[in-house]
Amino acid sequence: MPNEPVGVLVIGAGASGAAFAWSIADIGTSVLCLDQGPWMKQRDYPSNGLDWEARSLAEFSASPNVRGLPADYPVNEQNSEIAPLMFNAVGGSTILWAAHFPRLTPRDFRTKSEDGVGEDWPIDYETLEPYFTLNDTMMGVSGLAGDPTYPYHEPPLPPLPLGKTGNKMAHGFEKLGWHWWPSDSAILSREYEGRAPCVNLGPCLSGCAQGAKASTDITYWPVAQRKGVQVRPGSRVREITVRSDGMADGVLYYDEKGELQEQKAEIVVLACNGIGTPRLLLNSKSEQHPDGLANSSGLVGKNLMFHPYAAITGIFEEPLDGRRGPVGCSFWSHEFYETDASRGFVRGYSFEAIRGLGPATTALSGMIQGLVPWGTEHHRAFARLYNHTASLVAITEDLPEETNTVTLDPELKDGHGIPAPKVTYKLSENSRKMLAYAVERGKEVMEAAGAVETFAQPLFREAGWHLMGTARMGRDPKTSVVNERGQAHDVKNLFIVDGSVFVTAGGVNPTSTIQAIALYVADCIKKNIDTLFDPA
Amino acid sequence: MTDATKALDDRDFMSALLDIVIPASASGELPGAGSLGLERDVATGLRADPMLGPVVEPDLDKLREVALAEHPGGLQGMTAEDGARLVEAQVASNPFLMLGLLRHLYPAYYRQPQVLEGIGEPPRPPFPEGFDVEATDAGLLEILEGRRRGKP
Repeated sequence: MPNEPVGVLVIGAGASGAAFAWSIADIGTSVLCLDQGPWMKQRDYPSNGLDWEARSLAEFSASPNVRGLPADYPVNEQNSEIAPLMFNAVGGSTILWAAHFPRLTPRDFRTKSEDGVGEDWPIDYETLEPYFTLNDTMMGVSGLAGDPTYPYHEPPLPPLPLGKTGNKMAHGFEKLGWHWWPSDSAILSREYEGRAPCVNLGPCLSGCAQGAKASTDITYWPVAQRKGVQVRPGSRVREITVRSDGMADGVLYYDEKGELQEQKAEIVVLACNGIGTPRLLLNSKSEQHPDGLANSSGLVGKNLMFHPYAAITGIFEEPLDGRRGPVGCSFWSHEFYETDASRGFVRGYSFEAIRGLGPATTALSGMIQGLVPWGTEHHRAFARLYNHTASLVAITEDLPEETNTVTLDPELKDGHGIPAPKVTYKLSENSRKMLAYAVERGKEVMEAAGAVETFAQPLFREAGWHLMGTARMGRDPKTSVVNERGQAHDVKNLFIVDGSVFVTAGGVNPTSTIQAIALYVADCIKKNIDTLFDPA
Repeated sequence: MTDATKALDDRDFMSALLDIVIPASASGELPGAGSLGLERDVATGLRADPMLGPVVEPDLDKLREVALAEHPGGLQGMTAEDGARLVEAQVASNPFLMLGLLRHLYPAYYRQPQVLEGIGEPPRPPFPEGFDVEATDAGLLEILEGRRRGKP
């Protein structure tokens, strides 16, 4: 029966929704997940064809505004210095991600105590540690145990090869005596759980045709479905409905045919990312919740954090790997991760080594940088860059600010007439200083690695992959949206498990931590099911 | 010259323009973009591009008009040097013209088997064969071994 009431209704089948649904299925109740996107097919991914770069820039672009597919909703980003990115499908943004898999560090959970900025989380690294480990096993993580900047953990698979590009850059870090370590990567270095290992296709950012890159449609979902979890793709939720006592009782959603459906549930779980989740909460106004659901604090949609990125590229005389190999899973550096007051900013950033680009994107980025002209000089300039570049990105810690927001656009709507999100985001002075510092350090290490020329993008606008902070976690209902167990302070049967709950952002890719939180919240529900809705 | 008023539909004009933007390499290993017949790819891409298409299409029409005013045969009647000068002058006052054109031309050009071979790439999709990459430098791994945090 399509619309039988369910025990647990999860909205969003991406990184967090999949992990949560897989875990919560253990309680034995019915679990249903709605996602606005479709199931993807590996045979349809761009790397199956010679036109892979053209498709990566169009229907597989990470920007929903560029794709404009039926599964997408538009995002008004005109007032944002960073463009939000995401993918809408079963698997969510893990379809297009780089699969770089660092965890937040223990100190990231206590920036207020450590540095007097941001807020401390109500949970810590140690709380999440078992879930990080479980998640590594589920996703299939390759890496090298023993990075001295982290508590000890053992990835289940050996690290991916650095290749010529990574080796070259790592020597630069060695020369300067800077920290570097092979990345934890959610990409298989060996066959694992029936999935084939990475064969260095290159276009990780437009879906992995090999299935070596972990996306939750091929990691968590098949197992979750075997446990009885249902997934209903093509289902766009319009609003969460509430009972007279203000508790959630289900959702109204548009099905694949565009017809409005009602789905009742005992527990509703949001896993729609740091933009989709506040959008849905704000679109769920009612008599009981006039400012939007779970918004008595007024913080739904506030404190939006991205990771502002700088990109630094070196040109080398000798040929490197070009686009061969996983784009972003080589090594990381935490040399500049912690606060050092002499640098003129608080907190820090990680460096991540990036491989080269495909030919069309080399030409396009060369054009944007003014390095590859059109006309008679084109081929010479192109040859100087193609297969001769290596890059670093600096992933800087963005601090929460209430003025960086997701609100509802008064005019823009999606294909179903649902108000679209409007993102207002201004880079802080602290982030700006951090980016400038990172560019200088990036150039320094590129030169140490042997680059003959360097160039940089001090703020990479199309880099809003990480969407965090818009329904933050905390113990005080006045200063947070959900409690330390992901449960909405205002609505006891509403949980949030995506990046919205982040209190601070750290300076690393967040997916490993997002999924660990989703598993932890599921475990909290399982352990406290009898008292879950009791007053605090 | 074909009988078309829209630049994107004038295949001779577009072919000449693409050959100016990406001419054949001096060695002849890499063909000019116009000789590959990529006009249709570019036109299709621009017309489907909601952001750049509406800006670039009128700029292309203007370029075609200016070329026709300057030479009865249009851009395709000019020498490569004269054509390039004309395009350069138009780009100076319409900066999105080249950005939009190249956004769709480069992905079309750099997937042609002849071009891929010319830049040293196998003329095949990445999947299923993939590629080999160098192993991690053993010397580097040895260094890391000495820095490893031990199992507690």
